[in-house]
Amino acid sequence: MEQTTVKKEEGLVTGKVAAGTPKGVATCSITVNGKSYYVPKGKTILEAVSSLGYSIPTLCHLPEVCSNASCGVCVVEVKGAKSLLRSCVTKVTEGMDIQLASHRVLAARRTNVELLLANHPKDCLSCLRNQNCELQSIASLLGIESIRFTQTRKKPFPLDTTSEALVRDPNKCILCGRCVAVCSEIQGVNAIDIMGRGTKSQVATFFFKGLGNVACTNCGQCALVCPTAAIVEKDHTAEVWKALQDPKKVVVVQTAPAIRVGLGEAMGMEWGALVTGKMVAALRRLGFSKVFDTQFTADLTIMEEGHELIQRLTNGGNLPMITSCSPGWIKFIEHFYPKSLSHVSTCKSPQQMFGAVAKTYYAEKMGIDPRDMVVVSIMPCTAKKYEAKRPEMMGAFHYWQARLNLLEKDKFYDVDYALTTRELARMLKQASIKFDALEEEEFDDPLGRSTGAAVIFGATGGVMEAALRTAYEVVTKKHLPSVEFQAVRGLEGIKTAEVDLNGTKLKVAVAHTLKNARTLLEQIEKGESPYTFIEIMTCPGGCLGGGGQPIPTDTEIRKKRAESIYREDSRKGIRKSHENPAIQQLYKEFLKEPLSHVSHELLHTHYKERGVY
Amino acid sequence: MNTSVMPAASEQQILEIINRFQGKPGALLGILETVQESNPHKYLPEETLQLISKHTGTPLSRIYSLATFYSFFNLQPQGEHIILVCRGTACHTRGSRVLLEDLSCLLDGSAFLETGENTFTTKDKKFTIKTVACFGQCALAPVVSIDGVIYSRMTTARMKGIIEKLAKGGKKHE
Ligand code: SF4
Ligand code: SF4
Ligand code: SF4
Ligand code: FES
Ligand code: FES
Repeated sequence: MEQTTVKKEEGLVTGKVAAGTPKGVATCSITVNGKSYYVPKGKTILEAVSSLGYSIPTLCHLPEVCSNASCGVCVVEVKGAKSLLRSCVTKVTEGMDIQLASHRVLAARRTNVELLLANHPKDCLSCLRNQNCELQSIASLLGIESIRFTQTRKKPFPLDTTSEALVRDPNKCILCGRCVAVCSEIQGVNAIDIMGRGTKSQVATFFFKGLGNVACTNCGQCALVCPTAAIVEKDHTAEVWKALQDPKKVVVVQTAPAIRVGLGEAMGMEWGALVTGKMVAALRRLGFSKVFDTQFTADLTIMEEGHELIQRLTNGGNLPMITSCSPGWIKFIEHFYPKSLSHVSTCKSPQQMFGAVAKTYYAEKMGIDPRDMVVVSIMPCTAKKYEAKRPEMMGAFHYWQARLNLLEKDKFYDVDYALTTRELARMLKQASIKFDALEEEEFDDPLGRSTGAAVIFGATGGVMEAALRTAYEVVTKKHLPSVEFQAVRGLEGIKTAEVDLNGTKLKVAVAHTLKNARTLLEQIEKGESPYTFIEIMTCPGGCLGGGGQPIPTDTEIRKKRAESIYREDSRKGIRKSHENPAIQQLYKEFLKEPLSHVSHELLHTHYKERGVY
Repeated sequence: MNTSVMPAASEQQILEIINRFQGKPGALLGILETVQESNPHKYLPEETLQLISKHTGTPLSRIYSLATFYSFFNLQPQGEHIILVCRGTACHTRGSRVLLEDLSCLLDGSAFLETGENTFTTKDKKFTIKTVACFGQCALAPVVSIDGVIYSRMTTARMKGIIEKLAKGGKKHE
């Protein structure tokens, strides 16, 4: 360290210091492709050269999550080293002389990718990740023209189709280990690992039971980081196409807050593009008879959940109360912390409230037979597919059962299909919709009306902030001077704040990712939780970083989407859920009041202990 | 002998084993090995792995990953007699494939040859056949090991004799 500084002063090495190197950071001198540079010590070769205007191709490496160094795509030649080195894990050292693109390097990269491709199914044309696949792009980037190795795998691995939300195809897996790392390090679920050895290794669950039969939360974070199509959402676009083309069906759609800041990316626009109006226009062109908004029921959730909190506070109910919008989180607590289930709000998620309200209140109002109505939801989330198929989620059927003399065979779910942002993008492309050229359009009334409080459900901290905006005014009967609660915004893992409600101090906490949720639950189970109200979102960043969002999704992109979410909030005329006129009308005409009998029947639910398996 | 599966280690026994390994490096592997040894059929049933996970705090998927990585862990009940057939190159050229086929036929397990699995246990849990890569005794190929005893230049006739004896409950070795 000393030496480097001296050398630099003496000018023995005439080189450039890597851009962005803070003053006073220890540096070392390296040579890249024959040119000398100073770079900060302790960085990997990959990181060090990226600020020098080079980008080494990588495949298995996933910044912030893992570096298993399994693919060998990032190799570089270092003078004096016997073999080529993997730049994603090799740290720079003083005097290192690196060649990034020598003949040997390029040949080795190609060989390594050809080895991966030898056993890989060559069905890009019919693959869900076609044109959005890291393996495919690396093969094209390296100029692979033929595969010199023969397939060694004799029989294909069976697919894992046990999950409602995800499908795994181990034949497309390159064993990078990203999914295993995300599931363990970010989510703390550990549903999957690499099983077996040698040519038989594959990512799988305990005893090959399949994702649907273990404690997987369906969060889809594994699918989001998978470089290939080895883990994908269970595709329901064919079913939705069919419903749209059925003249007997009234097909309505609801869109989650995070779709409007994600969909644009999948349609070729910039990270975090805010596309609310274009999204509505596009959905209309797909043929939905009404384009409604999950944000309407996000406002409804605030009404129900806010009053549930007030009720628990005044009647000595179980505290802290924890939010229940995120189905991955719900399944997680059902598996891992069932003792704490009574802390979870009984409110259904906005997706499910929407289905229940659409097939009762709206169907009745419009004279539609609920059996002919199809509710499709567009979600940033794979776990929503599972949530929609939970047996409890048939509120509307039970509502109509006696009224219409329905039989068991008439059973229908409140939400028929939950599509991810990625699936919607595929449908829009199939339908030849020129997304960027669309004029903005407005949601339909009444289930399309929402406030700024509902938009921010899409970001971690948003449900908390929305709840505080309403709770403050309901409890204090005073006007909230400023609606923005900055303390619960941002990407920090666990955020806390204290709010003064007319002298009652409310301590709140907000966590995203299930690993962070564990921290708050451990406190509760030890009886040490200082909080009254907790928001938990399964995915990093909240729904905007959900497992159904466009790929890639990383921290930078999450920040861009969050900015758009808060921009949308600030430009909404009404920013508090209880001021939504369509919600006020819904209570007046149908629900009567928050936590009413009808509300309980349609908007609230219960949970189930599942055990760890 | 009773041919049905005998009870696996109890929760109490597993807890004792876990405590014995408390704080030792590589504890989990040791625990798995010891628990497997204590099983009358020398294997790790699902419920046993569940208990080990519960009491060590190691996720199920991690335990299963270890148990499938190391070939000395068995996830299926093992037969009373273990027959290892070498499928290394030397033994292959000296006819180990035929030995394996004859053996499978003899024990009613020819189907397993098609599955690509490398182990098979008879229904009565008397015999387990496993293939191995190389015993390092290539000069004596083909090599078969029966209950730990290595037989060199094995023939079908000789193998048949030994197996018939064992099946009748005879002494383990000639
Ligand atoms: S995973 Fe990628 S490389 Fe493999 S078939 Fe799909 S698109 Fe092609
Ligand atoms: S969906 Fe989530 S919980 Fe399930 S395997 Fe993937 S990362 Fe793990
Ligand atoms: S499933 Fe995808 S993320 Fe997981 S190891 Fe395979 S290629 Fe990597
Ligand atoms: S990216 Fe470095 S080894 Fe895969
Ligand atoms: S190949 Fe059979 S002992 Fe070596």
